[in-house]
Amino acid sequence: MTEANVTVAESGTGSVPEGWQPHIVALVCNWCSYAGADMAGTTRLEYPANVRMVRFPCTGRMSPLMILKAFEQGADGVLVSGCHPGDCHYVQGNLVARRRFTIFRSLMDFIGIDLRRLHFAWVSAAEGHKWARVVSDVTAAVSEAGPLPAFESPEDWDGVELPSVGDGGPQELTADQLDLLRANLRRAASEVLAAKRVGVVIGYGAGSLPGQNVPKLVTDSSACEILDWGHGCVNNLSTYIGDALEHNDRVAVVVKTCDLGAITGLIREDQVRRDQLLLIGMQCPGVHSGSALAAKCLSCSGDPHPICDLVVSVDGVHESCLDPSDAALDMPDARDEQIAYLESLPYAERWRYWQRQFGRCLRCYACRAACPLCYCSSCIADKHRPQWVPTSIDNAGNSTWNIIRAIHLAGRCSGCDECARACPADIRLDLINRKLALEVERQYGRVGLDPEEKSALIDFRMEDSEEFIL
Amino acid sequence: MPLAEAFPIPNPYQPSLMRIDDFFDETSDVRTLRLRFVDGDEEREFSGWEPGQFGQFTVFGAGESVFALANQPWRPNGNSEDTPIIECTFRAIGKVTHALRDMSEGQVIGFRGPYGNHFPIDDWLGKDLVFIGGGIGMAALRSALLDVIDRKQEFGDVVILNGARSVADMVYTEEMPRWQDVDGVRVVRTVDPGGETEDWDGEVGLLPNVFEGLNLEPDGRIVVACGPPIMLHYLFLSLGKTGYSPEQVVTTLENKMKCGIGHCGRCYVGPFSVCRDGPVVTWAELNELPKDY
Amino acid sequence: MDRTQWLLTESQLREWVRSLLDAGNSVVAPVEEDGVLLFRPLTSEERAILAPSGKTRWSPKEFLFPRSEPLYRYTLDGGEVEIENPPAPQRPQVLFGVRSCDAGGLLRLDEIFLSGTKDPLYAARRESTTVVSMACAAADPECFCTAVGGSPVGEEGSDLQLVPLEEGWLLRVLTEKGEALFGDVDERWQDAPAAIAKEVEKLERRVAGQIERSPVKQEWSKTLEDGFEHEAWDRLAQHCLGCSVCAYVCPSCSCFDMNHEANAWCGEQCRSWDACTFAIFTHHASGHNPRSTHQERYRQRVLHKFAFKAEDDEPFRCVGCGRCVALCPAGLDIVDTVTAAVAAIREEGADAAR
Ligand SMILES: Cc1cc2nc3c(=O)[nH]c(=O)nc-3n(C[C@H](O)[C@H](O)[C@H](O)COP(=O)(O)OP(=O)(O)OC[C@H]3O[C@@H](n4cnc5c(N)ncnc54)[C@H](O)[C@@H]3O)c2cc1C
Ligand code: SF4
Ligand code: SF4
Ligand code: SF4
Ligand code: SF4
Repeated sequence: MTEANVTVAESGTGSVPEGWQPHIVALVCNWCSYAGADMAGTTRLEYPANVRMVRFPCTGRMSPLMILKAFEQGADGVLVSGCHPGDCHYVQGNLVARRRFTIFRSLMDFIGIDLRRLHFAWVSAAEGHKWARVVSDVTAAVSEAGPLPAFESPEDWDGVELPSVGDGGPQELTADQLDLLRANLRRAASEVLAAKRVGVVIGYGAGSLPGQNVPKLVTDSSACEILDWGHGCVNNLSTYIGDALEHNDRVAVVVKTCDLGAITGLIREDQVRRDQLLLIGMQCPGVHSGSALAAKCLSCSGDPHPICDLVVSVDGVHESCLDPSDAALDMPDARDEQIAYLESLPYAERWRYWQRQFGRCLRCYACRAACPLCYCSSCIADKHRPQWVPTSIDNAGNSTWNIIRAIHLAGRCSGCDECARACPADIRLDLINRKLALEVERQYGRVGLDPEEKSALIDFRMEDSEEFIL
Repeated sequence: MPLAEAFPIPNPYQPSLMRIDDFFDETSDVRTLRLRFVDGDEEREFSGWEPGQFGQFTVFGAGESVFALANQPWRPNGNSEDTPIIECTFRAIGKVTHALRDMSEGQVIGFRGPYGNHFPIDDWLGKDLVFIGGGIGMAALRSALLDVIDRKQEFGDVVILNGARSVADMVYTEEMPRWQDVDGVRVVRTVDPGGETEDWDGEVGLLPNVFEGLNLEPDGRIVVACGPPIMLHYLFLSLGKTGYSPEQVVTTLENKMKCGIGHCGRCYVGPFSVCRDGPVVTWAELNELPKDY
Repeated sequence: MDRTQWLLTESQLREWVRSLLDAGNSVVAPVEEDGVLLFRPLTSEERAILAPSGKTRWSPKEFLFPRSEPLYRYTLDGGEVEIENPPAPQRPQVLFGVRSCDAGGLLRLDEIFLSGTKDPLYAARRESTTVVSMACAAADPECFCTAVGGSPVGEEGSDLQLVPLEEGWLLRVLTEKGEALFGDVDERWQDAPAAIAKEVEKLERRVAGQIERSPVKQEWSKTLEDGFEHEAWDRLAQHCLGCSVCAYVCPSCSCFDMNHEANAWCGEQCRSWDACTFAIFTHHASGHNPRSTHQERYRQRVLHKFAFKAEDDEPFRCVGCGRCVALCPAGLDIVDTVTAAVAAIREEGADAAR
């Protein structure tokens, strides 16, 4: 919220103040670009003086947080520059960074940051001339883009009408079928508890509001009657696994197919072992958001997934546990059209759209709390030495939070939509997550339900695309 | 339109400016600061303080931290010194305290306060006193202790028990001999087992045990204790065992706090706001509160 | 004061809003933003959603107690510090269409910010704010104002009140501040007959009848406090996620944080909403945390609403809007929790081991 030294920016395509000069922050690697810039200086090359440099040990040390901080503090453009692939002082820092920036860049583009503001370059210590050229090009591009639009919610703006998501979804189950499913579920839960296969079953019970279901932890095989199943079973219960394992060696979790990605993620990231879990996969009637089916359900069959240990359907309870390496989870998404539509809008319009969304953010961190994959014991938003995410609950601070949350989940998010469901402000976190998932898949291929697969952003290939790097 | 014109009550959050006059490093991470108001800023109606009260100290750019006002109380018209000097002793442990430690003489910080209630020193007149401080907890006792030593003839015997994890962690080592020199004052220093050095001439043992070893009759004695929660827990057990009643024991509560004026909700222990209703409580009062500190 | 009351049509209501805007007020009323109903300063009377029932997603408290605001600003110049007070409100403010529960919530905020050392920023805003509340013609499923001593037509905290009746919008003046909101009353406004009070009572009875919760009893406060360490808390809150949706949407939650937001040249002491449901709320620098589990933190929120009172007959700090019930991502229900905790404490004794 600190304003005094921030360029007064006009929102959208507003007028450019007279005499305006772009402020550009360059994050440079100490081993190459910094020396390259030095060389440009000593050889007295002429290039624009709009760039302020911040020195880092490696592009791999640079985080989107630092780019966001520059924008938040009033930079109109950011340049990130490091060693050419193959030349990293730390062998592979720049290769991991390349993937990270590719994905970050696509998110910034999506939320309405004109890509003429955000640049990446490989400049070696010997390339003084290249440095001068890069700085000239970047300065020209940022000048064209104009002052950074203000972090503020648009006033009196009618908003964007997104295409509707259409319909679809699992086959509707009759009341009798649901009753059968409930009976089967209770039987399965009670059996695994009685047989001491697990210490606790994490399932759903009835909530206090009409049609609502809430998480319930059952430890007693005779108490399984409280377990419920139906349209209200929205929560992704894998969020509770970590806590439950503190008191039990093995836990059973009632899961929908859309919850499995998160569980795979937890296994992949060593938060839990598969043998600590007993997954009770349910035939799902689709869950409700308000009175309609949740968007994620529109492209789902609702069938229980065979990688679960127990599969509960109308027909009964079956032991299953298919090897996950054969398992696919193919979910085209009804919202992809909405993403495409947003991408077709001009930057200014996209910026307005997201600033109004982010402006509503209360920083309640329900998105983080509900996310099964947000398990850090201390979140970057709670750290204050230094304070990367501003504490102020305003557009600038909220933008940083919303962007960094998404970035920290890029390549990891399972698309369960818990964050968006939990958000009291109806911020379309689901669109952001989905956008990043699409981008990760387009660039690096799909990661499935096999925990052995590496997630895209901790991996790299020498030949990864870098069409945007100067 | 500045706030003052719109609404004629002072901004309680705005600190006065103080300059670091001098500092002294008690240990490798504990420092005592001596502060004076920047010229003109004491006019913001500084009304002095009583032992036990605390202040909010600001490092501009880092934030605020709560420290006990650690020097002898300054009471307007009641003190020889006519401009107030404030001392505080703090441990560098987090964001603000590290930033504060990075500052040097002549630099400006902010101060607001004093806040909170204070030790009921007047109730102690004529009585024997024991001050028990664990680590940085001594800082909260120092104001009271200096006041008592200064007016020693008004009180009975005074025992000061200063405990630290190790010899290197002991605070106020420079001034303890001066306290000891006053007639009727006895200073006992102790370090936790394993924290002693070869030339250590004080006690070795946990504070509660050392206290028990002193065999101080509870009769009419007041115990003033401050230290980490775990030390207080065991100390209270010892006090109970040796026959002290909860009314005889005074301590100070510490809870994370921000506003200092009872609004931010952070320091509440049940209905009790540490910054407004505390920090000084008797053991008896503490027993009435939920265990939420 | 004589009770002045009129019956207005919707278009008269909007005209009145227009005139309030024209008179230079900032009129804050429910509007729809991306499908979410929220309080926002109106740019035109047309945008206001004047509905006989239904709540905004969160309470209007942010117009007295903003999510974030500077408490002072400063500049740093070569070691010298210059401090400046924050700007005071520039325009009188009208909170328009505030539901009865939310109007009561504002009084709970007053209890905090105007007691002891007055908060000047809050006080200044409060002084310049007039509250026009709007009674409810229907209860939402989560509503329970009547269970905590409120009413769908409650007048607490309102300067003026609108009651949606079949005959039209009944407008009643309740305070002098409310009266001052009128310049010349439009002579086309129709006086409401005294007998309209009967209609209001009928509405109250009908809406109260839609709320199925049984009342929370004053004497439960003591039971809850006595059972502070009862194991029931562990069980009742084991699925709390530790977000702060409940606190942030609540009309009466008032905890805040203070942080320096600064760069090398300038900064501000920034006050932001905070919540006792977060772990870092009470986490000491030393690492000690008096409330180290979700359960202890959730208990704090519940008890701060329903117990920990200075006087036994003090009203609860929960006004029964039901928002935390409807919006909790884990489906916790504060009334159910209180009821269940009281039952467990009474049944098993206050000391049942944790
Ligand atoms: C009444 C009282 C008197 C105190 N007296 C002293 C003293 O004389 N000497 C001393 O060294 N320490 C004292 N403390 C503890 C001291 O306030 C904290 O150690 C200090 O605030 C930590 O700040 P930080 O920014 O370095 O820590 P961080 O962990 O970075 O904390 C960030 C912010 O949290 C708050 N905070 C964190 N821990 C505490 C805490 N334990 N108590 C209060 N606020 C906290 C502060 O506002 C701080 O600015 C006292 C605390 C209280 C409540
Ligand atoms: S980020 Fe959201 S959608 Fe992705 S795994 Fe977490 S809660 Fe689910
Ligand atoms: S859940 Fe929504 S309102 Fe809460 S912090 Fe996340 S984005 Fe913001
Ligand atoms: S009760 Fe619900 S809303 Fe409140 S902190 Fe817990 S999960 Fe979040
Ligand atoms: S505690 Fe819940 S129901 Fe009560 S006033 Fe707050 S948000 Fe509304």
